[in-house]
Amino acid sequence: MKGLLAIIILAASLLQGCVSVEIPGMEYLNTAATVVTQTAKAARPITDAEEYYVGRSVAVRLLAAYPLWNNEPQTAYVNRVGQVVAMHSDKPFTYNGYHFAVLDTPEVNAFACPGGTIFITRGMLGALRSEDELAAVLAHEVAHINFRHGVDAIQKARWTEAATAIGAQAARDYGSSDLASLVTLFEGAIDDVFKTLVVNGYGRSQEYDADATALTYLERAGYAPAALEQFVQRLIAQGKTGGGGILQTHPATEDRLANIGDKMVAGTAAPAQVAKRTKRFAAVVN
Amino acid sequence: MQFGNFLKTPWLVVALGLAWAGPVRAGDTAKVITKQNAIRKECRFFAPVVVTVAFDDELEVLSSQGDWFAVKKGVDQGCIHQSAIKKKSFSLSGILGSGGATSSDEVAMAGKGFDPLVEASFKKQHPELDFQAVDRVEADNVPEADLLTFIQEGGLRKPQ
Repeated sequence: MKGLLAIIILAASLLQGCVSVEIPGMEYLNTAATVVTQTAKAARPITDAEEYYVGRSVAVRLLAAYPLWNNEPQTAYVNRVGQVVAMHSDKPFTYNGYHFAVLDTPEVNAFACPGGTIFITRGMLGALRSEDELAAVLAHEVAHINFRHGVDAIQKARWTEAATAIGAQAARDYGSSDLASLVTLFEGAIDDVFKTLVVNGYGRSQEYDADATALTYLERAGYAPAALEQFVQRLIAQGKTGGGGILQTHPATEDRLANIGDKMVAGTAAPAQVAKRTKRFAAVVN
Repeated sequence: MQFGNFLKTPWLVVALGLAWAGPVRAGDTAKVITKQNAIRKECRFFAPVVVTVAFDDELEVLSSQGDWFAVKKGVDQGCIHQSAIKKKSFSLSGILGSGGATSSDEVAMAGKGFDPLVEASFKKQHPELDFQAVDRVEADNVPEADLLTFIQEGGLRKPQ
């Protein structure tokens, strides 16, 4: 009975938006609330908006290493293919949407910045043979964003630093030292993601998940899922198993190919449509 | 059971967690979590736009239809994709009365404070970085009509 009374009091208080009565045992409720808060924090350490701000600065770092490829028709085409794939993904809307652009480097690679900006290189465009292969590479990168793999790359210890860096007052009004701590944390997060994208690459299981999910996105969009398998197969056949670029960050190995084969979904793309798309790919890219 | 003991029970912790972090349902108030979005006339991509919405706008959730929710904002009614909204949450310390101050854990939960102010400070420390380049990338939006034509000409599927 007392339990029921407690629920009624609590419910009424929640509806009013505040607790205005002294309730014995409230300290335990506060403790319980802290547990809930911390659980939620662990499950979701960064909001979509913050992920976007991290991703923007990661993109700027990438653009410092590789300038934008100033080819308007190719950029527009990559954007269209990417948008189609993203709309068929599990998260069609990110904080500021998906954006696709081409980097001016002969290196063969692609990068997914947290929040939705995706770059592929001029070298990658040249290594692809069809629109469906381009869609496959972009679907893989969109999958990384959907899984928030970029955010996962940020060292866990940084989130603990965040909680201690900001005092209660700072939540509403940054002091200069609080802001400086946040900027340091922000820069650290950017470094972590940048190193993962450019140097270390994601973990094997993350790559496998991105491949498997990309197959689903391709099928949903009407692209041929087999295009991903074809592209990875070609990388292996070319014997490019060392060196930098995509071969360092997205290793093209037999086991990756086997994973793609295991997860392959039946495509419904008509050969005539694939051919038509390959033609428009050639018109823009070649 | 004493009230203190009642409040110690783990199920209450679970119930509170679900109440604050649960999925969006009909009858909920939801918040827009994207910078901009649209309430559309029908629950599908490319449907005509009834009204545009912005980050943090509050919507009344009427029902769900697949990946979409029928919502109401003032007098405007239509559909918005589920990935663009989140159930409105409550401030725990606000409810439980911690003197009006937001706890550091709540700051951490709500986000680390990575916002335009932090970006501006980071930018100031790194004048060598060209944020205008990423602004150009983000400004490159594909008009819906063009995207629809691209899908149709390529024999692709329209998203639902």
